Amino acid sequence: MPSSTGLPNRVIPVLALAAFVLVWLLNLGVVQPNRIVAGTGYGLFDATGWFGAGTVSSLLLVVVVLATKPIRNRFWVLSFLLTAALMSLPLLLEVFALRKLPADSAYARIGIGAGFWCLAFFLALMLLETLSQLKASRRVQLSVVLLVAAGWWLCAAREGLSSLSLIREYANRADQFSQALTVHLSLSLGAVAISAVLAFGLALAMVRRERLRRPLLGLVSFMQTIPSLALFGLLIAPLGALSAAFPALQALGIRGIGWAPALLALIAYSLLPMVRNTYVALMEVPEAVVDAGRGMGMSERQVFLQVKLPVALPVIIEGVRITTIQAIGLTAVAALIGAGGFGTFIFQGLGQAAMDLVLLGALPTVCLALAADAILSALKFQETPR
Amino acid sequence: MIELKGVTRRFGEAVAVDNIDLTIETGEVCVLVGSSGCGKSTTLRMINRLLPRTSGQILVDGEDINKADPEALRLNMGYAIQSTGLFPHWTVARNIGVVPTLLKWPAQKRDERVTELLALLGLDPETDARKYPHQLSGGQAQRVGVARALAGDPNILLMDEPFGALDAITRESLQQEMLRIQRQLNKTTVFVTHDIDEALKLASRIAVMDQGRIIQHDTPEAILRRPASAFVENLIGKGDRGLKLLALRTVSGLMERHPEPRHPEPVTDSLNESDSLRIALSLMLWNNTEKLPVLDASGAEVGIVNREQLLKVGA
Ligand SMILES: Nc1ncnc2c1ncn2[C@@H]1O[C@H](COP(=O)(O)OP(=O)(O)OP(=O)(O)O)[C@@H](O)[C@H]1O
Ligand SMILES: [Mg+2]
Repeated sequence: MPSSTGLPNRVIPVLALAAFVLVWLLNLGVVQPNRIVAGTGYGLFDATGWFGAGTVSSLLLVVVVLATKPIRNRFWVLSFLLTAALMSLPLLLEVFALRKLPADSAYARIGIGAGFWCLAFFLALMLLETLSQLKASRRVQLSVVLLVAAGWWLCAAREGLSSLSLIREYANRADQFSQALTVHLSLSLGAVAISAVLAFGLALAMVRRERLRRPLLGLVSFMQTIPSLALFGLLIAPLGALSAAFPALQALGIRGIGWAPALLALIAYSLLPMVRNTYVALMEVPEAVVDAGRGMGMSERQVFLQVKLPVALPVIIEGVRITTIQAIGLTAVAALIGAGGFGTFIFQGLGQAAMDLVLLGALPTVCLALAADAILSALKFQETPR
Repeated sequence: MIELKGVTRRFGEAVAVDNIDLTIETGEVCVLVGSSGCGKSTTLRMINRLLPRTSGQILVDGEDINKADPEALRLNMGYAIQSTGLFPHWTVARNIGVVPTLLKWPAQKRDERVTELLALLGLDPETDARKYPHQLSGGQAQRVGVARALAGDPNILLMDEPFGALDAITRESLQQEMLRIQRQLNKTTVFVTHDIDEALKLASRIAVMDQGRIIQHDTPEAILRRPASAFVENLIGKGDRGLKLLALRTVSGLMERHPEPRHPEPVTDSLNESDSLRIALSLMLWNNTEKLPVLDASGAEVGIVNREQLLKVGA
């Protein structure tokens, strides 16, 4: 057994202590009479009583003990414990709803408090530390993430949590939600795909012709500097005029507002990171390697397909990764010009001061970005020779 | 046979290679030697058409290389470079197998060839074959570079400072291997270096270059005995050329051979047949003795080297 696993771990006790203090200090949840009015907050003890407060506190205590005592396989035990705790965390809210939600009011609902988020956050950090102590493979890490997600999904589907404000907002808009998901994904991934093809062509042109490099890079950098809102706005007038002039375009749904200007703006923003990474990746293939390829008797085509492209691929994928995360975020802003997607909920929620509606838009956007990050990082990792 | 006739290469106004004539016979090792920037690499890269020549003619076995398809030409010329240029995304085995793959050899023949070459260059066919280039030491990487150049069984080898970035000991051992391989395979080789000792050791003939021209093209011994100019004299080092001359010959040529191999007397030091005369002299000086016994590979004494005779050769 490696020596470090025998030593007391310092990170986990500190995190557990922080979680303990915050979960006792901050409000675990809020009871609201309806969706707009600010509600009354409840701390851990008020919200969940002896049972909930005891469970949470003793869990944190056990974690500290496990982390500091030289027990065999303690990190395995810890990772099971923390995963299970994270998976079932929403049950705390269910207990809270059972105890505090007024039974007579149809509009009453419960909101998630800062204490709950802090507890979830610190549990996740402790789990991360445990997994890194175990030197868990990517597959194990991914399964843990999926397990936690599945746990939350199952909890959210339970009857007991139907009074949760976030879930109420979702239940009112289930159709809109799935539509928003489709629109959000197709807009951002479509923009990434189109700009990837464009960027590849542009980067190739720049590699072939040194003269094109400065003007092309200048152009794509300039587009990046326009504030996103301004670019969305700027496209309204010309596209509006175009669609007015050509009814055929109008039939396709191309108008001054909607998906068309959003897609154009997203492509414009995606070009810089994509072109830059692809260009740099292709240029940074060591001259000696290309020279060796030719010297071995490869044709130019073989040199490109078998040497340049594969050697450049990790950096190109890195460009796609950055661009995808950026596009998923920007698509939320594109809701302002009527493009749809999760941004619609965010701006509606802001307008109505309904924070849980904002969450309903923001949470899935963040999850999409994280998922894209994980998938593309894994892909890049696979392409990098170890 | 490779013939360069009046070959010139310019980069803009600058002349990198200036109207050179050079003939490299089949099976010989021609070493291009000279200081940095004198046009050695340029000359080499014109032979496999990585660089087009400005004027002149290059013939391989009597055929102008410009008439051949460049890819086909290069497939028949092994090419190894100082920076190794190994493909970083491929394993050692795949790197070595690149030319056989391009030549569309059957997979089995290719794999056998890779294993054979790994063994030939002192690499482990089991463990090293699966490594990626960045997992190799500098010496191992250069071995792989040389193996890759040999893989397609080319008639011609072009080597551009293949042992450049190595420490003296690794370099020495790779040079020994190079000599051994050359004895086995007899490839027509053009070898570039700026190290005159490496040139003297490996060459059947040396071409000394300066500022794009060939100053002298001759055997190592002739270059040492009759340097064509002050430049060549400087390059070989006036001070110790006697010792360098001794280093060219082995003990076996000079020793007085016994009629019958004998059981050696237990003396302090003895020589091997393949040791150079330079080593023989050094050992005599160290032991302060007139003669040294020479042993063969089995350890039997086969002859004696005499100091007076040895000193005559150096003159
Ligand atoms: N692609 C190029 N463009 C312009 N000049 C070049 C180019 N390649 C080589 N030269 C010039 O040609 C001359 C000969 O270069 P070459 O690479 O043949 O030298 P070398 O003898 O191999 O030197 P070294 O021992 O440093 O490798 C140098 O002056 C160099 O600056
Ligand atoms: Mg050179």
